[in-house]
Amino acid sequence: MNLIGISINHRTSPIELRESVTLSQEEQIEFISQLKSEVLTEGFVISTCNRTEIFGVPKNNEITQKSIVQNLKKFKIVENLKDEHIESYSSSNALSHISKVAAGIDSLIVGDSQILSQCKDAYRLSVNEDFSNTVTRKIFDLAARVGKRAITESQISQGAVSVSYAAIQVIEKIFSNLDKKEALIIGAGETSELAAIHLNSRNIGKITITNRTSEKAGQLAKKVSGSSIDFDEFKEHLHKFDIIISATSATDYLVTYDDIKRTISKRKGTPIFIMDIAIPRDIDPKVKNIDNVFYNDLDSLNIIVDQNLKKRKHEIPKVEKIIEEEVDSFHNWHNTQGIVPAIKSLRSFFETIEIDELNKIKNKVSNEDYLKLENMAKRLMGRILHNPTIKLRELAESGNNIETTNQYTKVIKDLFNLDNIKQNEKNN
Amino acid sequence: MISTVHTLNILLSYLYLITFGVYLYNFISEKDQANNTNRILLFVTLLLHVIYLLVRTVEFNHPPITNKFEIFTVLSFALAFAYFILELLTDVKKTGAFIVFFALVFQFISSIFIQDLIEVNEILRSRLLGIHVMSALLGYSGFTIAAVYGGLFFLLYRDIKLNRYGFLFKRLPSLEILEKLNFYSVLIGFILLTISMMIGFFWLPIAFPNISYFDPKLISFIVVWFVFGIGILAKLFAKLYGKKVIIFSLVGFLIVLGSLFVTNVIAESFHSFF
Repeated sequence: MNLIGISINHRTSPIELRESVTLSQEEQIEFISQLKSEVLTEGFVISTCNRTEIFGVPKNNEITQKSIVQNLKKFKIVENLKDEHIESYSSSNALSHISKVAAGIDSLIVGDSQILSQCKDAYRLSVNEDFSNTVTRKIFDLAARVGKRAITESQISQGAVSVSYAAIQVIEKIFSNLDKKEALIIGAGETSELAAIHLNSRNIGKITITNRTSEKAGQLAKKVSGSSIDFDEFKEHLHKFDIIISATSATDYLVTYDDIKRTISKRKGTPIFIMDIAIPRDIDPKVKNIDNVFYNDLDSLNIIVDQNLKKRKHEIPKVEKIIEEEVDSFHNWHNTQGIVPAIKSLRSFFETIEIDELNKIKNKVSNEDYLKLENMAKRLMGRILHNPTIKLRELAESGNNIETTNQYTKVIKDLFNLDNIKQNEKNN
Repeated sequence: MISTVHTLNILLSYLYLITFGVYLYNFISEKDQANNTNRILLFVTLLLHVIYLLVRTVEFNHPPITNKFEIFTVLSFALAFAYFILELLTDVKKTGAFIVFFALVFQFISSIFIQDLIEVNEILRSRLLGIHVMSALLGYSGFTIAAVYGGLFFLLYRDIKLNRYGFLFKRLPSLEILEKLNFYSVLIGFILLTISMMIGFFWLPIAFPNISYFDPKLISFIVVWFVFGIGILAKLFAKLYGKKVIIFSLVGFLIVLGSLFVTNVIAESFHSFF
């Protein structure tokens, strides 16, 4: 199959280089237009923070992966992009690689499910820019199927692989109905925002934000449909919260052992989950010794993240098996592509004969008899063409002997003169 | 009919074994099972167990409470039935293996050693005594189940506290659910114990005109009833949560064990029939 492509990814290149070749959506549109005019007849571009992938069908046999790289270098003006930073793929390798990308097993975080939607976006862009044809469509069908099967048939995307999600996993082992729980987020920076968004996505009953700058707290509260409280007063309200997450840049403990001791006593033993994701820490780690207080910091939550990543890596062989099956089925489809026009011509040739002969007797028999003859002729054609059609398809789908398939196709074309249908019609 | 009794006696052990196996698989497997295979299996087992107990009662003309091994099969049924009610109330299906295991053990011992007694103490033929014993056993089963969930609560509590995210962490339901299962079990146990106690108060003076209200079994029964009663009130009105509730139920269960030991092994009671 005539498919070539290049990949610059987290395995081959440092982040600075990956950043320098990343293409924004506007850039992708412009670059696709360049690829179309110079190297590829159809294809697609995937560009994320961890990878830039360019694949497609070359315009002619002179065009190689190097041509794509040259185009990229010219477009992004990257001087330090060297051969060792680029992976080149063609034919089956290219298909397997795209499938691995879509399934998330080539991602920096194994099992990343976001990449599948990024692949879908790339396909949409390719369609919109008139850069997609049969091969591209089929490749994306394959990628989407692999991605979907990987999620449903393996545990490649299972388990939390970020600290915030790991915290949710622990929270769900303490509380059952999160929609009845209240959470307090101390701090309104990027980390706090991420934590608040994760909590909000799990339908936590109420989220309250507190921050030294109250405007920032208000802004974040708005984003997660929560409320904010004054930073000077938050300690007085600690007992109202089931979950406390802290991520400020304070240099001393904001919440002390005594604060939590008082809080838990007011809560009559109702458990409280505390997650301190600040460095240096905001909450005295000694609070973990208090009954019904579940304290976690970055180190403890990373234990879960590591466990889940390990488990995901164990699932890679399962996903590779899925990829193998789907790539085989893609080849079956691709192998039939040469033979489909021959089968179509053969059927059309016989149908022409059928219609011609039926027309000859149309006025010589009654309507009733004509219908019977018409049915008989259709059945006859169907039976005559059934075996050759099946045999040709089987030969093509097996993919074992392309030469034999081509020979069969040629013989059929020659015997029935299928390349000159018009002359055929005249002779008949 | 005697052949039905013998067949069911053997069949029940196998059924509990299969039910336990299915629940265990459900617990070990990381996939959340949406189907009700285990619940249906437990229901069928319980149905056959009821038939077995009824057929046995009719065949031998006394409720199956005349020897230890008859009590064991009733206890097995009581545990499984109390758990079944609990599962229906809470819809938590993951932890059944921990309870069905005890039902399996009691039924297995009973299936091996049970005897067909036709000649028994006349008092043991009373149907009311049968209901009294059955509800008391169901009550105690509720407290046993509560203790099992209390134990699981502490295991998970310790794992989360120590940041150990292993096998139990991944498979057990949340602490809140374990606490709920524990409390519901106590509630079921308490209600059935109350029923047993009420039957006892009506029936005992008729069956035993010389009854002593200072009988150790009666006293221990009332102590257990009070302990769990206070626990339930504390949970409902003083809004106790978490570890405190679990500790209460575990202490209650230890009192149950202690009182059973004292009344069945050490002290003499008019309640002792075998």
